[in-house]
Parts: sequence; C-alpha cells; structure tokens
Amino acid sequence: MNEFEEQLKQALSRREPPSDFAERVLAIARNQSRPAAAARLRLWFHRTRAWRLVPVLAALLMMTGGTVYEQHRRAARGEAVKEQLLVAMHIAGSSLHRAQHRIFDVETGEVTQ
Amino acid sequence: MKRNVFGFVMAMALAMPVGAYQDLKMPVNLDKLAERASESVDVTLDASMLQLASGFLSKDDPDEAQVKKLVSKLKGVYVRSFEFDKEGQYSMSDVEAIRSQLRGPGWSRIVGVKSIRGENSEVYLKKDGGQIGGLVVLDAEPKELTIVHIDGAINPEELSELGGHMGIPRMDKTKTGKKDKDNAKGDQ
Repeated sequence: MNEFEEQLKQALSRREPPSDFAERVLAIARNQSRPAAAARLRLWFHRTRAWRLVPVLAALLMMTGGTVYEQHRRAARGEAVKEQLLVAMHIAGSSLHRAQHRIFDVETGEVTQ
Repeated sequence: MKRNVFGFVMAMALAMPVGAYQDLKMPVNLDKLAERASESVDVTLDASMLQLASGFLSKDDPDEAQVKKLVSKLKGVYVRSFEFDKEGQYSMSDVEAIRSQLRGPGWSRIVGVKSIRGENSEVYLKKDGGQIGGLVVLDAEPKELTIVHIDGAINPEELSELGGHMGIPRMDKTKTGKKDKDNAKGDQ
C-alpha cells in the first residue's frame, strides 16, 4: 500500500457524528417548515380579509394629505395677504401723514377744504 | 311656491353685486401707469381677503395689533402707488377718473393741499348714514402718485394712529405751520 492509498483509507474511514448532530438537523428542519414573516403576514391578510380595508386606508391617507396640503396652502396665502395688507396700511398711513404734514407746512390760505 | 323661490333667488342675485363690489372703481388707465413706473404697488383686498389677513395678524406684535384693530371694521382696502424715475410721467387727468367719482353723492373732500412744487394731497370721506363709510387719499408728487381707498368704517384719526408704527413717522400734532415761500395757492 502506498502513501496515497493510506491517506485515502484514513479519509474514508467511519467516524461517529457529534452527539447533538440529530438535534441540530431537526431544529433546522423545524425552522424551514415555518413560513417566513412576509408569508405569514400575507396569510393573515387573506384570512382576516384585511385587504378590504386598503381602499379605506388609501382614502383616509389621501384625505389627510389633502387637508394638510390645504392648510399649508391657506397659511401661505394668508401670510401673503397679510403682507399685502401691511404694505397697503403702510402706504395709506404714510399718505395721510404726508397730507397732514403738508397742512402744517403750507400757509393757511393754501389749504382748501 | 315656485314663484316665491324664483323671486327670492332673483332678488338675491340682483342684491349681491351691490354689496359684493366696491362702489369706487380704480380707473383702468392707472394700470398703464404701472408700465411707466419704476416701482408700483397694486393692492386689492376685499372683505374676505381682509378677514383672511386679519387671522394671520399677531396680537403680540404692536404694529400688527394696530392694523388688526383697524381692519376689523373694513370692507376693502385698495391701493395703487407708482414711483417714477423722472417727472411728467403722469398727468392729473390720470386721476381725474377717480376724482369724478368722488364728486358723487356721499363723498366730501375734507383736505385739499396743493403746492407749486406739485405736491398735492387730497383726502375724501364717505358719509354712510351719519358715520364714515370710507376714505380716499390722493397723494400726488412730481415723481410719485398714490391712491388709497379704504372702504368701511374708518376714521382718519385711527389711520393716523399708525404713525409711530410700521415705519410711518409719528405725527407731531403740536407742530406749527412752517412758512414756505415755495408753497403757494389753494387749488380751487
């Protein structure tokens, strides 16, 4: 028997498996037979007929989104209108102020009323 | 019954424009002035816009609180203001269209100041059943023209109270008239 045959004999010789080998194999098998989380959710979805709520939830989401957008739009418009009002009042007040100033500045005969 | 409903609807339809529109119209030719102006301001705020703006005015800010108080009784604020780079860009005929409306019933001119420097101020008040129902200020300078129409119950005193707020100088009521030789002649 040459050296190669000796190595082959040793490699193919019978060895006992570790003591927990059977347990580990069974545990792996158990885990594989359990459905994945996504699959379980899908199963629950169909069993409880929760899919029927999808349009309702979508409508609620759209309504909430619409309300938030409308509030945002209204706030932006309100701020813009407020700025316009402040500018208008500034101009109105300034114009009246100038008119009063001119009354004080010109001679009595120059003021017509 | 149908006739009554129809009559009611018609009456409402006819009555609506009376209250819904400002009774004083800003002349269309003013829009053309904006093309020649280096700066122009065009503010048109009706009652609903004022209500909207009022909701956004802060009570804590003294300027805004003052405006909020003033605006609560108003039906509209309309401002046209133009600033020009050089003189002669507008003529008084441009404001004549609005002046002619102010000669109508209900309006009375309470202030008219005219100087040879071309700095003119006019203030008109509208009487509405014994109360002030509106105010118009025409402010014309060689390179500036401002028309302000405030529709609603307002007192010029209230508006002048804005002095000291919003960058408007406070009016010193004790100030005595300064004789200015350049100023001359009343207008009418």
